[in-house]
Amino acid sequence: MSDVEKSEVKDLAPAPLGEFGEHPLSILLFSWMRGKMFLRVFAIILGVVGIAAIGLEIWLAQKTIRDVTSVPGFYAVFGFIAFGAAVLSGWPLGKLLRRREDYYETRSGEAGRDR
Amino acid sequence: MTVERLADWLANTNPGFFILFAALFVPFARSNIVRALLLVGGPAVALVALINADGLSLNLSTLKILGYELVLYRPDSLSFVFGLAFIIASALVGIYSLHRRDAMQDSTAMLYAGAAVSAVFVGDLISLFIMWELTAIASVFQVLAPRSQDSVRAAMRYLVFQISSGLLVLAGVCMFVSATGQTQFALIAPSMAGLPVGVMDIAAPGAVLILAGFGIKAAFPMVHNWLQDAYPKTTETGAVVLSAFTTKLAVYALARYFAGLEWLIWIGAIMTVFPVFFAVIENDLRKVLAYSLNNQVGFMVCAVGIGTQLAVNGAAAHAFAHIMYKALLFMSMGAVLYRTGTTKATDLGGLHRTMPWTTLFCLVGAASISALPFFSGFVAKSMVMSASYADPALFVVWIMLLFASAGVLEHSGIKIPYFAFFGHDSGKRPQEAPFNMLMAMGLAAALCILIGVSPGWLYRFLPYEQVAREYLASDLWTAPHVLQQLQLLVFAMLAFMLLQWRKLYPAEAPGLILDVEWLWRRGWPMLTSALSAPMRQLGRWAGGQAGLINGMVGGLARQAFAPNGWASAKVPFSVTAVCSLAILGLVLAIALFR
Repeated sequence: MSDVEKSEVKDLAPAPLGEFGEHPLSILLFSWMRGKMFLRVFAIILGVVGIAAIGLEIWLAQKTIRDVTSVPGFYAVFGFIAFGAAVLSGWPLGKLLRRREDYYETRSGEAGRDR
Repeated sequence: MTVERLADWLANTNPGFFILFAALFVPFARSNIVRALLLVGGPAVALVALINADGLSLNLSTLKILGYELVLYRPDSLSFVFGLAFIIASALVGIYSLHRRDAMQDSTAMLYAGAAVSAVFVGDLISLFIMWELTAIASVFQVLAPRSQDSVRAAMRYLVFQISSGLLVLAGVCMFVSATGQTQFALIAPSMAGLPVGVMDIAAPGAVLILAGFGIKAAFPMVHNWLQDAYPKTTETGAVVLSAFTTKLAVYALARYFAGLEWLIWIGAIMTVFPVFFAVIENDLRKVLAYSLNNQVGFMVCAVGIGTQLAVNGAAAHAFAHIMYKALLFMSMGAVLYRTGTTKATDLGGLHRTMPWTTLFCLVGAASISALPFFSGFVAKSMVMSASYADPALFVVWIMLLFASAGVLEHSGIKIPYFAFFGHDSGKRPQEAPFNMLMAMGLAAALCILIGVSPGWLYRFLPYEQVAREYLASDLWTAPHVLQQLQLLVFAMLAFMLLQWRKLYPAEAPGLILDVEWLWRRGWPMLTSALSAPMRQLGRWAGGQAGLINGMVGGLARQAFAPNGWASAKVPFSVTAVCSLAILGLVLAIALFR
């Protein structure tokens, strides 16, 4: 196995478990999320669930379509577009509205802490 | 006999008074056990009193003062659900704050909670105003609690808004009571299906002022910034306390007096939408939650504006659920602040490794606020959505609410847990939160799940129980309803993953996001600075005229306000009171823009 291939295998391997100081519950609940394949698998699961939800809606839907909101998949399309629009608006808005942290007054520190 | 009298007294006393009473002793509690007993025991006694109330829709306790009959305790199905939520929240806050000792914060938090509980159970405008002001004064100490320069400045700005709200309410109440002679809400207008909601006509004298006062406390658009300014600057416990009461008390008051007012539909819809954009670019996660709070209160205000029985149920259910999951989210961010000293997204990430319980509870809060089926947000927000969908004239409003639902998933459902506990690894390995914090979060999370899985018990307490039961039986769990909500959330999450993968998700960046507060923190000083030279000239000229003007004004004032002067003899007391309030309001406005 070449070095490149070895490095690819290493990248696909799950992150080492039981890092010093890590909480046992974290290993139990979240360690499976650290594998390189996690995001891909999670996206596939979400896609399958989403398409199944649309499929079931079509199967269960009434014969008549009253308006645009009763078209099967309306909520899926709306959710995707609305979320995308909200996030992408962050680019121009950030440029327009973001200022230095001491814009109003000298920054005296972080958020409040209990005494 | 004594036990019977005690039970009778318990059943006829406003539950908030027990919390207020306990608050008086908190500063003197030396032992931790006594302190814990007071912080949790006060709300516990209040809960027992509420459950054993001597009947609903009855004046259980009254007091005659200055010719007015104050109704100190009048529970009904609207106040019950808000009061119950407030009492549970105050107990959770008590548990959450057990790890630290700060007598000032403890006692004012209880005073604040007690005042809020009392406010929802009083039956007249005068008592409501008194409790309204007590919540304002007690809550400012939560903002002051860190005792830093930033927090003191924020507290002063917060106080200006809260006192202005109180002044507007007082001015409105003075005008309304002098014109109608009526203070008790149950007697102002006929009930809607047996329940006094929306009792005040907006055309009534003083009603607009009262609405404006309620609106400030509900953080209506353009007067919303006190919330994002103050909440993130308070302590980890302070933000939890503040998140539970102020805005929801305003929602209760709006429902009681202005349900069905069309203005509120649009105000609420705007409230749901605009915070989404600010939350996307905000770096401080507690500020993100503050925007999210604005957005969620928008759903309630909109429902109150729609005003049907289903909508009022939706507003009440959403307020109840929201108090729990928003407290949970603020608690989880409080735990992060407590352990790491920051809630800036840029400085966090990877905390799930050492704070898994906090992560888990935060995820429950995130799922609840996103209205994932089987979590509390779903069973509460659905009623608001259904009520808006039911009226074809409100289609645009419904679209705005649907957009806001996707936005909620972005800022509270994904952004908060992702950037704090997952995302890039910040390298921070803090300890898990203290046990009392975990316990409070665990209880709140359990409630979020319980409401989501078994909404029947919450629906039982809603203002219109029969309508709620019908909704539960025929609408809530229908396959299309669940599937459509699932589609909305799943595809929004897919959009998130796609944007992350394509590196189109705006990276978190340190900085301050400008909002409407710019007007009084920068705009006004800039304007006054630009006008200072001509103003100085004007001042010099006015100074020359001052002697003459002083003499004239003094003489007129003496003639007018002497015991037998024309103002004292002819102007009604209510007008004098309103003028005094206007002057005080002007002073507060100057203080804000100073």
